[in-house]
Amino acid sequence: MSMKIDLIKHGNDCELKMDGFIDATNAAEVEQVLVDVAGKFDNMLLDMEKLEYVSSAGLRAFKRVYMELRRKGGTLSAKNVDKAIMEVLEVTGFTRLFKFV
Amino acid sequence: MDSLSVSAEIKNLDQVTDFVLQRPEIAACSKQIRLQLRLAIEEIFVNIASYAYDPEIGPAEVRCEVLPDPLRVVIQFLDGGKPFDPLAKEDADTSEEALFAREGGLGILLVKETMDGVTYTYENGKNILTIEKKLTEPEDVCL
Repeated sequence: MSMKIDLIKHGNDCELKMDGFIDATNAAEVEQVLVDVAGKFDNMLLDMEKLEYVSSAGLRAFKRVYMELRRKGGTLSAKNVDKAIMEVLEVTGFTRLFKFV
Repeated sequence: MDSLSVSAEIKNLDQVTDFVLQRPEIAACSKQIRLQLRLAIEEIFVNIASYAYDPEIGPAEVRCEVLPDPLRVVIQFLDGGKPFDPLAKEDADTSEEALFAREGGLGILLVKETMDGVTYTYENGKNILTIEKKLTEPEDVCL
């Protein structure tokens, strides 16, 4: 799906290394994977070092993941956020979803 | 002006994006500019694919031209769907409350924030959305 996601477990928390992009063609699929994983852990950290691109379709996916974690009192964190992706998060106010580490 | 006509469907997004980004002048730009253009193209084309002819499927035309002094790209999106001016609405609310309440409006906000110019006209039964972006940051000079 033009996105590779590696899952690293840290007890009840998880780290996802994202490699690829999230656009309108794959956002629904990526969202489903992320929400499923979010359902199994307390907190989630997204490593965006190799995430090259996110559009508004990807933002919706992040929002669903955030909601799933928040429902359980968990947090969504992000690290290694590229300048272009940070711009997308800032313009839309979606920086609020993430704790940046 | 170069032109590409496609059926306005999300599955044709890559074709539209490549049509613009594979131009030599744009391929030579910084990663930042290429990603901003990719974003704007996606947001506009997906809006056309999702709403212009809904629930039918119709055609879209994308025109692209690179102009000098200052070096810039002008991209036009034309569709024959329902008249719709995406610039007429207020910018999407990016407050915390709105973040969880709304679903739409983010795409055009991203287009307006990342492009140097965005204009809309309705002519001869067609929506025409034109975006313009300066190409003045070659990879080896500015980043």
